[in-house]
Amino acid sequence: MLNIHKLILSLTLVLLFGVCGVTWAASDAEETTSDSLSATEQDWTQLDDDEEELVVWDPIEPFNRGIFWFNDKLYFYALKPVARGYRAALPEPVRESVGNFFHNLAAPVRIANALLQLKGRKAVDESLKCVFNSTFGLAGLFDLGVGLPANTDGEDFGQTLGHYGTSAGFYLVIPVLGPSNARDAVGRVADSLAHPVSSPYYLQMKQLEVIGVRVHQTVNHLSLDKDTYESIKKEALDPYLFVRNAYMQNRAARINK
Amino acid sequence: MRCFKILILISCWLSLCVLPAYSAASPKAQVQATVDQVIDVLRDKQLQGEPRRQTLSRMIRARFNFNIMSQRTLGKYWRTATEAEQERFVSLFSELLEASYIGRIEDYSDETVSYGEEKIEENRADVATTVHSGNTHIPIDYRLVLKGDDWFVYDVVIEEVSLIRNYRSTYGEIVRKENFSGLFKRMEEKIAELRQSSGETTGQ
Repeated sequence: MLNIHKLILSLTLVLLFGVCGVTWAASDAEETTSDSLSATEQDWTQLDDDEEELVVWDPIEPFNRGIFWFNDKLYFYALKPVARGYRAALPEPVRESVGNFFHNLAAPVRIANALLQLKGRKAVDESLKCVFNSTFGLAGLFDLGVGLPANTDGEDFGQTLGHYGTSAGFYLVIPVLGPSNARDAVGRVADSLAHPVSSPYYLQMKQLEVIGVRVHQTVNHLSLDKDTYESIKKEALDPYLFVRNAYMQNRAARINK
Repeated sequence: MRCFKILILISCWLSLCVLPAYSAASPKAQVQATVDQVIDVLRDKQLQGEPRRQTLSRMIRARFNFNIMSQRTLGKYWRTATEAEQERFVSLFSELLEASYIGRIEDYSDETVSYGEEKIEENRADVATTVHSGNTHIPIDYRLVLKGDDWFVYDVVIEEVSLIRNYRSTYGEIVRKENFSGLFKRMEEKIAELRQSSGETTGQ
């Protein structure tokens, strides 16, 4: 318990000092010279009006790249082989049900964050979905399609912070867990306090049990994944930069929703 | 009852006649046409190896505007590049995107694509699609620009991540650190890698 509180405290401090993290550069508009372009020709080097240039603040890039390298090895030498064995042992519908179960289990986190952001409709939809799936859907194993579409990404505390104007802070690659940033790392800790499995307030599972559940969840997720990371690694000129930008874009879009 | 059936038949027949003509200019219909063509090729077991790759390449090049994509990817570096560098970039970038795209769709199995709404604003359009694969549903939006009668893709947004904006950050950083020569070298290596691995899977 004490450890978690200490961690939150230290991360909050880090966040306070790093609030100026992501800056939305005005896509260097002042540099634009129209001399090479006729009046009718559009300047395609500029982004659209509804797009913003995303500049990621990554002051600890060498450190992050080290963790990225470690996670890469962990993925290929441990998680993926286990996921392959797991996939061979269990048929897909079973693994999908397990995925539904874990998704449903995290409903309290999503509902709480929807409420914190005063998104009433979303909170109601999430709650209805959770109630129906937990009962008629046999503890969440089956998604009955009430409320929201299956596996909709829900709200989390990182998004709640972002919703109220907290900027991302510096980019951070977390060992085992992957891409994050100062704000979302704080969000993760807060969410873990609300999550039934890791919360110290209700089920009160032991540390080892919590890790076991988390590993199972990850392996199950990977067993259903179609080699997303492999594709990125194969295609991107620099997978680290690809993941960094994709993570930040995705988070920014989800906060604005 | 019989009258009702005839009515249905007539309306089906009418919609068949009317739809293609009506949708000729719609960005959604054009995206759908290309996606359907690509899926047909992927389902065709007769077509394999190099001929298949070339057919796919032709279809992709007819719908994607690699020139605009290149300009957006390089951003301010496009303006500082020489004409030769620009040409070289467009050619490498098209090859790279094509090789990536073909590599991704080659292991197509039972995925289906559904089409959401289209938003048109002057000469720009946004077409929302969703790729369904088992329990996962991946939103893929196409951003298009109108040139003549045709709509051309200039960005693909997968799960809220714009590919061009993503490339823009990576490529910009590489040009800044390693100049165009460094970027071209990296791109060439990547294309060779992708070609090789896709050659392996298609059994060439």
